[in-house]
Amino acid sequence: MLLATREIARAKVRFGLLAGAVGLLVFLILFQQSLFGGLVTGFIGAVDNQDSPVLVFNDQARRNVEGSFLRPDQVEAIGEVEGVAAAVPIGESTYTVEAGGELVDGVLFGYPLDAAGPAAGLGAPTSLTEGRLPERPGEAVASAADAEDGFDIGDVVRVAAEGGPEIEVVGLGEDLRWSVAPTLFVDYATFEHAQRAANPSAQVVLPAVAAVRPADGVDLDELTARIDGAVDGVEALTNQEVVESSPGVQSVNQSFQIILLLAFGVVTLVVAFFFLILTVQKAKPLTLLRAIGAPSGYLVRNLLVQIVAVMAAGIAIGVGLVMAVRPLSTGGAIEVELRPGTVVPTLIALTVLALIGGVAAIRRVLRIEPIRATVDTGSELA
Amino acid sequence: MRLAVRELLRRPGRFAVVGGALTVLVLLLLFLGGLLDGLYLNSTGAVRTLDADGIVFSDDARQSFLRSEVTADVRDDIDGVDGVAETGGLGFALLGVAVPGEDDVVDGAVIGYELPSTGLPDPPASGEAWADRQLADEGVEVGDEVLVGPAEVPLTIVGFVDDTNYLQQGALWVEPGTWRQVLAENRPDAVLADGSFQAVVVRIAGGADPDAVRASVDEATGATETLSEAEAIEAIPGIVEQGATFTAVIGVTVFIAGLVIALFFALLTLERLGLYSVLKAIGGSSRTLVAGLIIQSVVVAAGAFVLGGLLTLGLLQVVPDGIPLQLEPSRAATTFALITVAAVLGALVSLRRIVRIDPAAAIGAGA
Repeated sequence: MLLATREIARAKVRFGLLAGAVGLLVFLILFQQSLFGGLVTGFIGAVDNQDSPVLVFNDQARRNVEGSFLRPDQVEAIGEVEGVAAAVPIGESTYTVEAGGELVDGVLFGYPLDAAGPAAGLGAPTSLTEGRLPERPGEAVASAADAEDGFDIGDVVRVAAEGGPEIEVVGLGEDLRWSVAPTLFVDYATFEHAQRAANPSAQVVLPAVAAVRPADGVDLDELTARIDGAVDGVEALTNQEVVESSPGVQSVNQSFQIILLLAFGVVTLVVAFFFLILTVQKAKPLTLLRAIGAPSGYLVRNLLVQIVAVMAAGIAIGVGLVMAVRPLSTGGAIEVELRPGTVVPTLIALTVLALIGGVAAIRRVLRIEPIRATVDTGSELA
Repeated sequence: MRLAVRELLRRPGRFAVVGGALTVLVLLLLFLGGLLDGLYLNSTGAVRTLDADGIVFSDDARQSFLRSEVTADVRDDIDGVDGVAETGGLGFALLGVAVPGEDDVVDGAVIGYELPSTGLPDPPASGEAWADRQLADEGVEVGDEVLVGPAEVPLTIVGFVDDTNYLQQGALWVEPGTWRQVLAENRPDAVLADGSFQAVVVRIAGGADPDAVRASVDEATGATETLSEAEAIEAIPGIVEQGATFTAVIGVTVFIAGLVIALFFALLTLERLGLYSVLKAIGGSSRTLVAGLIIQSVVVAAGAFVLGGLLTLGLLQVVPDGIPLQLEPSRAATTFALITVAAVLGALVSLRRIVRIDPAAAIGAGA
């Protein structure tokens, strides 16, 4: 085994370059993954962490909360569909708000606080970590990520329009942003108030979607189909479907997958060509080693140790780089997050791919004929 | 130098591995660039097509069209500012569009406007619309009657315009009255007062200083924020963040390409140390040897670029419609330039080693 590590110690530049290249690739992959994770939770966190087993959209809205609105009679009709225990209107809109002394974009999600029975709590955030849920108009739960920017408990956020409501933050929850903007969960009346202040010319205030609680034991897929059939002009989706089919998330998702696939391919190829060339260059000494009795298993193990060592160094560099740029991203629009659930499988996959990349070199080692040590061995690559 | 070319011609297999890795990197670069361009162009077309010297928002709108309202009074004030040649109202409504004969509703942006521009003819008659050419991919044809929004307001397509989309939504350009009607029937909660627009496009008189005119507009109205075209583009949600992120990722990828080339040619040089000392002994200079290396690296990079480019074109055919991939010639040119520079710099990493080769080593007298 010592042979493998000694070679690395003697050829620091070579292995350093490879570890550097691998490290940057690891960084690129982890950075994009975390960016993607942050982007997705930033886009749809508010719905992901909302008590809304089923959400009903206007069927023209293309599953986009911003593009959706329902008439009051539609919300009522949804409530009467068999299997629906309760349906409540959910208001959503983006405003210019004054928070921490600055004007920023802010999203309001309005849900009825006075709802009772099975409707109670429908549309409320479920990831509360601090404080409490709003209990009266003018109170709100905000995303913990925005606490430092004037959205902390006790802060008052004002909808920046003439007569706009003042909203006091009374609770904080994890991952409650919507469209990568600070988000406040408020009473439906507060949303109506904001809507009228922001656009006095508006003829009515309409909810964007309806949140539905199914009756006990009702299958969600059946229920959404039943709502679609029973109420004109609506599209019912389970919470999970909303999160997955949100327009931004879907196209971002596909793009990132292609990018990651390519980056994984590059890692494999780079590791493969490096060790293949190295093995070809070492053909002579390797043949000699075989001739004096070193089993090919020993040589292959050496190779594997080197691949693992290079990957370990590359991973250390990559993770280090991500940690180094992390502080730059916090407080920004999108947070770079490292989640063990994605990082560990990724690093394992990369190491496995690198080992697969080493197969070409391993085959080369296995093909060595010790007898060739007695004749001239070329060290040609091909 | 001829030696380097000959080696490439006779032993292409030797360069296949590094070429393969670079090809995938080129594919990655073109894909990233294409994605960035697609996102950028499709988000900003509507603003770029206006030929605006200034776009006036209400000052509480935080530069968002959808939250801005410029009233008729304010517009009068703008018209009265010295240096303002003409103004035109502008309004957006983002709604689903049902295309005849297609099952899915497509994303649409109905845009009411008054001023024509180089890319945009005069506003069509009431109830008619110029459609962005990308909507043709969704099955829209001239003469079609598309239905806009939940209220299904009919719009007749009378022609196509190019590169005018807004926030990835297919643009439908209409006269202001039609836009107001679309808004009133579909988004009664977002209707603006008669005479109000979301924003006002300003063209300035020849010879006037755009910055000064924009400043005087805001001064005259006291209630507006006037942006240049470039500022209005940057104000579109996500444009700046997207640009910064993608540029960083592209930068790292180019750097990786440079490292891969450096690594490969460092290994190659190591392998050829003996040969190089012989070449030096018979009169070859370090410069010739390095030049040969650079030629090889550039040829490998160019080959990888061609292959990667072809693969990208292939990829373009199979990516799902949801991905706004758009390949621009300028992007291909930049990518080629970047990858070539990375190749040259990467090859130069071996410069020191080559210069240090002692010709005497050829006869066993050197180190």
